[in-house]
Amino acid sequence: MRTLLILLTLSLPTAAPADDNGIVFIDGGDWELPIVREVATGSGRVDDFLLDARQVTNAEFLDFVRAHPEWRRDRAPGIFRDARYLSHWPQADALGESNARPDRPVTRVSWFAARAYCRELGGRLPSMTEWEYASERQRQSVGTSPEDYARELFSWYANPGAGSLRSVAEGEAPGLGIHGLHGLVLEWVEDFQLVLGRGDDIDLLTGSCGDTARFLPEFDEAHYATFLRFQSRSNYQPDTTTSTLGFRCAYDPE
Amino acid sequence: MTLFKSPAVATLTLACGLAAGGLSASDRLVHDGEFMVDGMIFGLPEARVYTEDYSGPPVVGDYLTAVPHLAELDYDGNRTHEVRMDVISQQIEVAPGKFYNAWTFGGSVPGPTLHVREGDRVVFTMKNRSDEPVVITEPVAGGSPFFGQIQANPIQNHQPAISPMPHSMDFHSGTVAANDKWQTIPPGVTIQFEWVANYPGVYMYHCGTPSVLMHTAQGQYGAVVVSPKEGFPVEADREYVLVQSEFYLTEDEYSGGYRYDHAAAMARDPSQVTFNGHVNALHDEPLRANAGERVRLYVLNAGPSGTSSFHVIGAIFDRVWYEGNLENEWRGMQTVLLGASNGAVMDFIVPEAGSYKLVDHEFADAERGAAGTLVAGPRKQ
Repeated sequence: MRTLLILLTLSLPTAAPADDNGIVFIDGGDWELPIVREVATGSGRVDDFLLDARQVTNAEFLDFVRAHPEWRRDRAPGIFRDARYLSHWPQADALGESNARPDRPVTRVSWFAARAYCRELGGRLPSMTEWEYASERQRQSVGTSPEDYARELFSWYANPGAGSLRSVAEGEAPGLGIHGLHGLVLEWVEDFQLVLGRGDDIDLLTGSCGDTARFLPEFDEAHYATFLRFQSRSNYQPDTTTSTLGFRCAYDPE
Repeated sequence: MTLFKSPAVATLTLACGLAAGGLSASDRLVHDGEFMVDGMIFGLPEARVYTEDYSGPPVVGDYLTAVPHLAELDYDGNRTHEVRMDVISQQIEVAPGKFYNAWTFGGSVPGPTLHVREGDRVVFTMKNRSDEPVVITEPVAGGSPFFGQIQANPIQNHQPAISPMPHSMDFHSGTVAANDKWQTIPPGVTIQFEWVANYPGVYMYHCGTPSVLMHTAQGQYGAVVVSPKEGFPVEADREYVLVQSEFYLTEDEYSGGYRYDHAAAMARDPSQVTFNGHVNALHDEPLRANAGERVRLYVLNAGPSGTSSFHVIGAIFDRVWYEGNLENEWRGMQTVLLGASNGAVMDFIVPEAGSYKLVDHEFADAERGAAGTLVAGPRKQ
């Protein structure tokens, strides 16, 4: 069904916002990541891309698992997912209540599983740059102030609502037509780890202490709120699953 | 409770150990690659990062206590400690009605106090369990004395919470390559590494994952007391651990509770400054002593950013060992200045029966909660 939607969307004029089940076209541009990596490289080019308007749901991931039983939690090889992969589902191929409801974002999925899902749909995970670009464009489009953005994110870090996630795509999609980039779950991206130079050594931002100022062009709350997202993602492993980590897919324009 | 170990006994033990050949330098080296410099051990093995099916007590080890308690070192010479402190999220109260979801080691803020002796080896295990609810207020089989003490005085009213985050552990008492031992692990992963208590002292441990300001302000710190191998030159009648720290909380419009305020933390403008994690911790359950007794305080200022000018109203510190090292002895101190992560051992003699206030003499901090009470009974002959 999602494949069909992609085709439909692609046939639409490029600026059209998606409906609740759809895919949003993001027109590219010159852009600089809000987190400085290594050396300030200035702005880079973000190409046009398509992004799911919302996170993948339990129902959709269940369809995927049924079609590809090798991704069932009792069959997926251990190197591709940690021990809690899909553990919130009452059975390996059945949904349930609370965070296991069909309309909730699928969580407890590894990077490997998320990639496999998107590939199956003819898509891929968004790159870190694409995801962050969409986030910033969305903020601009909605007119969210840096202070409100920071307040919402810090509130989410403090109380991520892990025990009772809301459903995806609640209400009208604002701005570019994208639902819930912030405040529901953190999302996998293709290149989720920051690779940082440290002399001859490299680091994935796992080292201790004091490495924050290197990455922040400004020390305001909004940049810290963004930094924490980069930092958290960077310290995951590809087999990591958590109760607040989901994903959505991206697609290349034809 | 007398925790003091006389120098004479310690020396005798050392002598016997040497006579029996039990304390030779090579015996203290356990792994290939370890080496000694000036009697201290370096070159410890690489940390092991793995996954385990563990859902047992988040704090394991006989020498781990809840503040203000300090475990008695009921053994001679050196030993190896198997210590576990898991990372868990926990809703705690730091002042009446002020609750927030803390990130913790073991479930309390500050976390458990570990007591070892100079020269001891610690094999430390930590699982990042920030993504599962862990209850610490019910009896735990196989847990450390920490749990009984928390349950006897649950002033923070601990409730399990879930807040998945990468975390790490940095023991100031260890001398290791931080990029290895103190590395960050994601939720669900366990790290195990060793360190040797090469120096005596009152040390901070904390999460070192960026933003380290947020991780520590969220509650990830505690104390390690490394007692000098020869013992202290005078015997104490009472021993207590005090950890000072700041909280930066603001009302959270989304949850209706409180949450970390990063702007306030950056501005060093705390909402609360506490001894042992609650503005009332040392008022509701004051420290106890009797007139004429020597009280020994192991004080750590965990910060994360403030200093402490620690003072006891009505007393003078008879002896202070800055950082807990016998080489750093001061006499007759009215106030001891501790920067963020400085510690000290402070002795004072209780002058007479009465109530003695412990304060951070930086009064802006005392006004925000950095105060406590020691209640002294009459002289016991």
